[in-house]
Amino acid sequence: MLANYGLIGLFFIIVALFSLSMPIIPIVLRYLKIVPSHPGPVKNSTFECGVETIGKTWVQFNFHYYFYALVFLAIDVLVVFLYPWAVQLRQLGLFSFFAVLVLVFIVVIGYVYAWKKKVLEWK
Amino acid sequence: MNLALLIPEITLAVFAVLVILLDLGVRQKTVLRSVALAGLVIAGGVTAAMWGGSYPAQFSNMLAVDHFALFFKLLFAGIAFLVILASADYVDKFARFQGEYYALILLSTLGMMLMAATADLISLYIALELTSISLYVLVGFLKDRKSTEASLKYLLLGAIASAVLLYGMALIFGYTGQTQLGAIARAIQSMPPSAVMDSPALLMGIVMLIAGFGFKIAAVPFQMWVPDVYEGAPTPVTAYLSVGSKAAGFAIILRVFFSAFGMPDWLSANWGAIFAVLAVISMIVGNVAAIPQANIKRLLGYSSIAQAGYLMVGLATFGFAPASSVLGQSGILFFLASYALTNLGAFIAVIAISNKIGSDEIADFAGMFKRAPVLALALTFCLVSLIGMPPAAGFMAKFYIFSAAAQNGLLWLVVIAAINSVISAYYYLRVVKVMWSGEAASGEKVPSSGAPRLALFICCLGVLLLGVIPGLVMRLAEVAGRLFAF
Amino acid sequence: MSVGLEHYLVLSAVLFCIGLYGALTKRNAVIILMCIELMLNAVNISLVAFSRYVVPTLLTGQVFAIFVMVVAAAEVAVGLAIILAIYRGLTDIDASNINLMKW
Repeated sequence: MLANYGLIGLFFIIVALFSLSMPIIPIVLRYLKIVPSHPGPVKNSTFECGVETIGKTWVQFNFHYYFYALVFLAIDVLVVFLYPWAVQLRQLGLFSFFAVLVLVFIVVIGYVYAWKKKVLEWK
Repeated sequence: MNLALLIPEITLAVFAVLVILLDLGVRQKTVLRSVALAGLVIAGGVTAAMWGGSYPAQFSNMLAVDHFALFFKLLFAGIAFLVILASADYVDKFARFQGEYYALILLSTLGMMLMAATADLISLYIALELTSISLYVLVGFLKDRKSTEASLKYLLLGAIASAVLLYGMALIFGYTGQTQLGAIARAIQSMPPSAVMDSPALLMGIVMLIAGFGFKIAAVPFQMWVPDVYEGAPTPVTAYLSVGSKAAGFAIILRVFFSAFGMPDWLSANWGAIFAVLAVISMIVGNVAAIPQANIKRLLGYSSIAQAGYLMVGLATFGFAPASSVLGQSGILFFLASYALTNLGAFIAVIAISNKIGSDEIADFAGMFKRAPVLALALTFCLVSLIGMPPAAGFMAKFYIFSAAAQNGLLWLVVIAAINSVISAYYYLRVVKVMWSGEAASGEKVPSSGAPRLALFICCLGVLLLGVIPGLVMRLAEVAGRLFAF
Repeated sequence: MSVGLEHYLVLSAVLFCIGLYGALTKRNAVIILMCIELMLNAVNISLVAFSRYVVPTLLTGQVFAIFVMVVAAAEVAVGLAIILAIYRGLTDIDASNINLMKW
């Protein structure tokens, strides 16, 4: 019991040492003049991956995205039921096949409804 | 597995889909109403035809097709039929969305039917949510500020309640290892009583189930959504909510508590005591809070809380004497049937009047007897039935429930209920007084169209028949009340 | 040290209580929906744990959890739709502003 906790403690010590040493290495290298120092505006800016944002990031999204999310959700939820069924397809037999067909059919009606109500068009 | 036994449910599902599809193609929207009504008539007819047969538990014991379920299926089909009839004029307020309206009513009726038939915690949860989610949308149908607000409140509180309910189910599942109601009962009975008593998991689970179901039937600590939702929702939906959702809640309580927790007497006496307490506070809070209300929908909302209290007197009886008394169970079923007709009648009259005068305030109903004599008379009759005065159905319903309670040693509860009935007479009769002797705002007549008048006529006739010759429905209720052997 | 049924149940109960607390105290309707989701997922944890430890040969609890997730998705979809409908007329989703009707 105690030995288990000891292992975890050892693990934490190693983690702490490692994470301390990582930021120290570049400082030491810089001090030893192994790496050159040429600061510039690009180098000094905070690192972010991807394209730089234009304008504020706290914008409101067009609520049309909500409809897309909803339309996606229908198929998302359908898949939850399809997976267990697909795994056991052979054992479950013909009846479950038709049951799943009915399920898919009902979801498809949802899509037909969304399509006819022009939800999928971007206005 | 015999799919033929599910024809009423399948019919409703097919017709709901059909209504949605037709709505996409058809320009003449009144067709949709006829289609929805046809679906309900077929579902109800098939259910009625199945009465008298005996069917074993079906679908891996997920659903039971017994007389209890059939009784409620008939009741729900009838309620939805009357609601759709009554909303004939009202749907003009959301003319573009008629198809969705009818489809959602059919879907929530389907959910209620499944709720009455469920014999397993999983199917119970799905049926409950099918009903609830359809109703959340229906409540917000007017799309004005009050309606969407009511809808959001209903949804948030309903979701919290169903999460609590679900936690209770998880505890019961964990304690017994079963989700099927009969198997839960067998698991509990096979354990020594001391083990059951010492383990809080089962009792905690039962309390959480009561909290979740209490929300559906609007019992008092869980009633805070009622007045707001009743006021904000479209009035036909309010009627549907106050009758259908409540009846479904009681159906499921009867089913779960009878088949899963009915058997060791001390256990059923435990939850019977909880229902007795809830009954007392529901009656008192509902009746007292109804007195100052100025809006007729809010008044009927509080009155429905009080009615849930009377019904819970029946549940308490049922808990204290499950084996010996059929009167307790069938009394609840009779009360639900009569309450459904009465409350629907009252709401249909309110819909017909307030849709024309554009107000739900009781003060604006003044002098309604001169402006719309038939509607005012019908509303008066239904309110009299809600008080529980003969010859209306409400009297017989209360008589059955209270006499069963008195026979099983709950006289104190009956006394409280009787006092509350007297209090309730005050606010019901206040509406009657305003209608009959108040000064009319204008001499203009209030017209009403055919479909709501037909629905109102059916309700009033039903209330009168149940009050004068209760034996017929009582026999059905007795057959249905002798429940579930599975 | 082995993780047993109790650990899962304690985790589930803690999550459920956090969710319930948040649902009852928070004012933002979207956050309330998130808290409700937390409550449902707490239930899912205990369902699956019960299923694993009480009836290891059956999958009742897992199946139940799948249904709960699906229903929760439907519930949240409807909830967000209603919030959108309110938002169009109200410009914010602070639940304390939703106060047209008081009892």
